[in-house]
Amino acid sequence: MFLKSTYNEILKIASKPRSYIGIAAITLIISVILLAMWLDGITYISFITAPFEQSLSFTGNILNGNLMAFIILNMLIIHVPLLIAFVTGDLISGEGAMGTIRLLLTKPISRTGILLSKYLAGCFYTLVVLLWMAILSIFVSKFLFGPGDLMVLKSDGLNIIQAQDVGIRFFYGFIVAYLALIMIATLSLAFSCFSDNSIGPIISTMGMIILFTIIGTLDVPVFAKIQPLLFTTHMAAWRSFFEDPIPVEQIRTSIIVLFVHIIGLLGIAIYKFNKKDILS
Amino acid sequence: MIKKYCTILLLIIVYAKSTFAQEETANSILNNVYLKIQKANDYSASAHIKVDLPFLKMLPINAKVYFKKKDKFKVDSKSIAILPRQNFDQLTKMLADPTTFTAMVQAKDVIQNISVTIVSIIPLADTSDLILGRLWIDTQNDLVYKAQLTTKTNGTILTEYFYSSQSAYGLPDKIIFTVDIKKFKLPKSVTADINNTKPKEETKEKQGKITVVMSEYVINKGVSDDVFK
Repeated sequence: MFLKSTYNEILKIASKPRSYIGIAAITLIISVILLAMWLDGITYISFITAPFEQSLSFTGNILNGNLMAFIILNMLIIHVPLLIAFVTGDLISGEGAMGTIRLLLTKPISRTGILLSKYLAGCFYTLVVLLWMAILSIFVSKFLFGPGDLMVLKSDGLNIIQAQDVGIRFFYGFIVAYLALIMIATLSLAFSCFSDNSIGPIISTMGMIILFTIIGTLDVPVFAKIQPLLFTTHMAAWRSFFEDPIPVEQIRTSIIVLFVHIIGLLGIAIYKFNKKDILS
Repeated sequence: MIKKYCTILLLIIVYAKSTFAQEETANSILNNVYLKIQKANDYSASAHIKVDLPFLKMLPINAKVYFKKKDKFKVDSKSIAILPRQNFDQLTKMLADPTTFTAMVQAKDVIQNISVTIVSIIPLADTSDLILGRLWIDTQNDLVYKAQLTTKTNGTILTEYFYSSQSAYGLPDKIIFTVDIKKFKLPKSVTADINNTKPKEETKEKQGKITVVMSEYVINKGVSDDVFK
């Protein structure tokens, strides 16, 4: 019954037009980035290498598919959570808004089962969005720009990773990025349990991401102690796979923090959904 | 009074003669070095490049180096290769036209247990890219062991040469470039590195080293012009 319910929830997500907004937005953004780089990527690269240009010369294919994929992921990983919340924030509250939640709860499955099946469907949607992003950013970029060493852009330096070493780092990076997006899906689902309209949970999730990102970015001593606890700090952990050496301990900490958030928020969502008065 | 003038005149003549002789010696040293380098009409070699620069991390890479007279030079690599702007052939280009600079022997020194002569090079034209050059030359074998070239466009680069198998052609087996690197800083909006909370480093200029180990030299066997396209 649980699997059937999950399958039904996946169909529900697939049937909603809003589910395709995220995928369409990702496609459009990646296309724009690739077109811009295709037309004027050399200028972008020279801006990056400018501090070294006086004394050093760079040879080889710097503007390659791997760099494009890295740039795209950097740009999108901030915005994709918002696109995910657009769908997952609607999972419970959307039923309330449409008045179908009462009917849904008449199914011979516990409230926890219903919530978890919706959650699994949301995780599946997140996976589809992330895979679509991976296909466009890695495979299409490589097709257009060719393979090559990856020049990892950091605010305080550059890492150059050899081409044969890049694939596996992207693989692990995507796994951690998926975990971060699952965290966002869980957060919006938890908000969704508190609301009977879709806008509230989506706006709340967006607001929280923006607020925590600002707190995490500000170099103010008063925020220094809370920054390691914010989920937004650990959402960028996928980037750590592109450092040399890979900071394994830092990645482990980020994974633990994200897992704790996921379990905590899912617990809150289950508790709230089980206690929820169905008034619509 | 006449005796005094004669002494001054004599001193001037002696000084001018010694300067001229010094310049002549320096020019002949440089000419011998140039003639030795010119023995190689073309060559190709494998290069193992190790980059040790502040603000930049990368593993050593392998490349292929091609040279053909007069000034064709290419580094071919599948990987991203980083080399000084004053490249391998900078010295050859500079020594090719001795009328553009004045040279003088400055001192003696010992490098790699070899006695060397320090020759300074000053360009004659104001428009020259070179500001000042110093070469540490083994006059016995006509080999440059160290070069410090300061140019307007590329700053100062110190190059150390190590010779072994191809010293007869003046081609080194190992070259160490020491370069000055300015502080590297990219806006976080470009890198999207928003959560980088590592402590900031000092904003001083830093030095970095690029070590190139050359091997598998193929000299004067012909290099196709297509390689340089």
